[in-house]
Amino acid sequence: MSAPKKPDEAYYQLLTELQQLDFVLVELMLYLDTHPYDLQAVQQFNQFAQRRQQVAQVYESRYGPLLQFGHSFSRYPWDWANTPWPWQV
Amino acid sequence: MNQIRQWHPFVGPFDPCPPITVKAYLVPPNLFIPFQPPNWPQFSPAEALKRGTLWPALYSPYESRMLEGRREVQ
Repeated sequence: MSAPKKPDEAYYQLLTELQQLDFVLVELMLYLDTHPYDLQAVQQFNQFAQRRQQVAQVYESRYGPLLQFGHSFSRYPWDWANTPWPWQV
Repeated sequence: MNQIRQWHPFVGPFDPCPPITVKAYLVPPNLFIPFQPPNWPQFSPAEALKRGTLWPALYSPYESRMLEGRREVQ
């Protein structure tokens, strides 16, 4: 294992952005459950989903995988077990 | 619309404690919206996360009224 990376300013900025995007996605998801024919909302949902993917990709390329079970790519060397862990940030 | 409502509970003559004469409760806006209309104005993502809803019309501040209640009792 390499030395643990110290979370910098950008790390928290990216996490905050992910959290914000995820929250908008949850809200839109709940809304769309009762409004399945709202085209504008569906478009907005997809737009946010795409932005979330982009932000997650940037995050993972810099700080390591967010998900396991093949939902995230790994860097080399394998760093899933490295700190910081979610409950430490 | 003011989201806080009040009621005056019955005060019995044998209440051993100092009575709370006014009680307040919060009515969040979603109670009055049977079905959400489409194309409502939205908060920015950052604002939405902070306020706990994407739509300003559904925002309820849910502020602590602990101090206020204590002042009523005294």
